[in-house]
Amino acid sequence: MLILKNISKKLGQFLLNDINLEISDGTYYVLLGRSGSGKTQLLELIAGLNQPDSGELWLDNENITRKRIQQRNIGLVFQDYAIFPNMNVFENIAYSISSSKIDRNQVKERVTKAASDFNISHLLGRDTKHLSGGELQRVALARTLIKSPRLLLLDEPMASIDASLKDDIKRLLRRLNKQGLTIIHVTHDYREAVSLASRVGVIHNGRIIQEGSPDDVFRKPVNKFVARYSGIRNFFRVGFKNENGKWCAVSNEKIIFNLSESSYPEEGLLLLRSDDIKISCEMPSFNPGNCYKGIVKEVLPSEYGVEITVDAGVIFYVDLSSDTYKQQPVVESSEVWLSFPEEAGIALQGVN
Amino acid sequence: MNRNGPFNWILLILSSLVLLFLVAPLLGLFLKTGVGEFFETAKDKEVQASIWLTVWVAFTATFFFAVGAIPFAWLLARKTFPLKSVVQGIIDLPVVLPHTAAGIALLGFISRDGLLGKAAASIGLNLVNNPAGIAIAMAFVSLPFLINSARDGFTNVPERLEKAALNLGASRSRVFFTISLPLAWRSIITGFVMMFARGMSEFGAVVIIAYHPMVAPVLIYDRFSSFGLKYARPAAVLFIFVALVVFTILRLLSDTGKTVVTKNEYADS
Repeated sequence: MLILKNISKKLGQFLLNDINLEISDGTYYVLLGRSGSGKTQLLELIAGLNQPDSGELWLDNENITRKRIQQRNIGLVFQDYAIFPNMNVFENIAYSISSSKIDRNQVKERVTKAASDFNISHLLGRDTKHLSGGELQRVALARTLIKSPRLLLLDEPMASIDASLKDDIKRLLRRLNKQGLTIIHVTHDYREAVSLASRVGVIHNGRIIQEGSPDDVFRKPVNKFVARYSGIRNFFRVGFKNENGKWCAVSNEKIIFNLSESSYPEEGLLLLRSDDIKISCEMPSFNPGNCYKGIVKEVLPSEYGVEITVDAGVIFYVDLSSDTYKQQPVVESSEVWLSFPEEAGIALQGVN
Repeated sequence: MNRNGPFNWILLILSSLVLLFLVAPLLGLFLKTGVGEFFETAKDKEVQASIWLTVWVAFTATFFFAVGAIPFAWLLARKTFPLKSVVQGIIDLPVVLPHTAAGIALLGFISRDGLLGKAAASIGLNLVNNPAGIAIAMAFVSLPFLINSARDGFTNVPERLEKAALNLGASRSRVFFTISLPLAWRSIITGFVMMFARGMSEFGAVVIIAYHPMVAPVLIYDRFSSFGLKYARPAAVLFIFVALVVFTILRLLSDTGKTVVTKNEYADS
């Protein structure tokens, strides 16, 4: 288990501030944050490339705060993989074991096995300058994992590879995690967290502002920043009311949202995920909980299908998959019905 | 003629004038030296000894001081420390000093009354009028070329490669010898060649430290002041010819050395 206790570090004008984390063995932990939020600095502190100004790092009941980087046995794969350009693929993978007192045949055997595990056996004799992003990443993983690190740290592993290769890499990372490897993966893309993480942390301005299971973080964001980060685009400034035992939220006196039983503040933000909203040309035949008529303002292609902007008194953003859109195409200026259940609304106290 | 025509013509004329300024004196030197004179000078034992002394002392000085200068350059590229800019300024000082002033300063340091001179004398070595003293004079005026070039080379090596090597369990010294040094190699060789060249051509500082044994620039000056231009010219031509051959060989050797990747090339790969 990795434990970070009150870790702080000043780097120029930037401050990593009072970071507390507990990551159990076998966890796939995704740390989400924008560029400059401190996520790479945190990885470098865990790896031992930098020392914290205060706080402690514990790994498997051992205080490693001041332990030398070479003795931590924590693997770090850099965003651009940091493959040594003056060595070929074999020499790169063998780098960590060729320094120790292992004989040449054993080094060769271990490199061959690592290359086979990552499907790069055919690249062993190759120069690294002509490898693709995906190949470089596999070389970097093989080079790091050949030493069987206690923990694997990944800095934006999907940032430099083609979209077509991302699924392969995700499968590979899932497989490694299933084999028991604890992984800490930092990224700015919440979709990587959704598809890989067993736990998620959101870091902003050097502080971890929310942490928990993906469901906790993405369904119950603690503030607007986390909500935006988890892909939510529908934000409504509302007042919450309880009328005859039923909760509702009123936005600018224009629209009323029916809400499920819970406790709500007097006023705040109501959040809706774009993919929780259904869109249809006809009024739904059943009571979905919330149903509004609106006009389609814009239909834009998105990564997974289309994003539709609808004006129903307030602006809604709706995501549809390509298949759903093909079955039920909507065009700009047409009249549509939007519906979502009462449970879909996420309430936030405050407006920031 | 395209729209940039007049501008291109001006550029061409100015460039040609600058090039002519550099080439004309050398060309004149070569053209005014007869083939017979050239070969006769090449056979002159004093000239041969002088050129050989210049080459080996300059090479030894470069090689010897590189041992300390290269790690120093890495330090300058990677570390921040108080008064770093002052240290950078001190490194460049020999370039801006009049070289005769550098020679006088060095003479105080390496003569029998000086700190280094006393230490050398204690083992029976007199640095003045000695190849060791010449090497020190050559190194003093030419070290900035090696340090600055090597520092730029180390700066261009992405730091994350060194971090990755440390993370893979390598010691600091192994990272230096397997990552930093091979990747900065081209800049280091360039600096090495520049330092060697500058050392070979040094006159001002060397002539104060050691008139004898005569390095080639001192010999050329000596022949000019004693016998005139006609006698100095073939020795100058021969020295320039030898220098060109040596630099061409060093350049070829450095180009066929290990491939070096700069930050930008690495980012493109």
